[in-house]
Amino acid sequence: MKSLYNVHTIWLLMMLLTAASYFVGDLGKGGWLAMLFVLVAAFIKGVFIIRDFMELKGVSLLWRAIMYGWLWVVCISISIAYFVSV
Amino acid sequence: MMNPSASSKPEAKLLPGDLAIWFFIFMELLVFGIFFIIYAVMRIENIELFNEYQQTLNRELGLANTLLLISSSYFVVRAVQAIRHNNVASCIHWLYAALAGGTGFLILKSLEYHDKFSAGISLSTNTFYMFYLSLTLFHFLHVVLGMLILFAVAIKAKRGAYSSVNHTGVETAASYWHMVDLVWIILFPLVYIIR
Repeated sequence: MKSLYNVHTIWLLMMLLTAASYFVGDLGKGGWLAMLFVLVAAFIKGVFIIRDFMELKGVSLLWRAIMYGWLWVVCISISIAYFVSV
Repeated sequence: MMNPSASSKPEAKLLPGDLAIWFFIFMELLVFGIFFIIYAVMRIENIELFNEYQQTLNRELGLANTLLLISSSYFVVRAVQAIRHNNVASCIHWLYAALAGGTGFLILKSLEYHDKFSAGISLSTNTFYMFYLSLTLFHFLHVVLGMLILFAVAIKAKRGAYSSVNHTGVETAASYWHMVDLVWIILFPLVYIIR
């Protein structure tokens, strides 16, 4: 049996995560839990793009650190800024 | 006797595509990253204004654009896979599919801008719109550039420039296009959803 983890399922998963983020943001009318869900979904999609679409899995640690580091710094900064404002 | 190569660590893979594009990608991400953080910090000081005017954005168009860019990125992955199997025709088809996704994005974004500009909204309307317009317009220009690169690669592929052993150009274009997608993945929730 072929692995379920492939670019096709990743694409579908990213589409579902995007739709879920939209509905959570729309129905939740804000709130820290909705914000956390939306940001975690964005982070997961970012990991998929870096790891599987950009094919950075297995490249030198330096390149991966730059890409994943960017994603971490941006997501954590947005989270901190959000929690400071509530 | 042990084979010395057997005990050594496996060598790290090289970055796909041309190394120069990666330095360009890192610079672009740095600029967008700073922009995102400034937006988040400015939002703290203008929380009510940001929440109020965020409601005026068309989230459905934002959602559709996100789905278009993710799909377009996936089509580019398929184009790279096709050329690695020496399937030039399939590679070209997937590149055109990715370009169609990019075109859809530009059309929807233009409709959104038309809506805002015809309502008299500009960069000087307020802080929220200054960020919304400058961030999304900056990204819009990157989509245009990414599409030009994809189109150039599709034309070169049609002329037989790429094969299973020589496809650095396809990988280079793909890497840039994925960066455009990655930036939108953060921009969409930050500007359209989080409140």
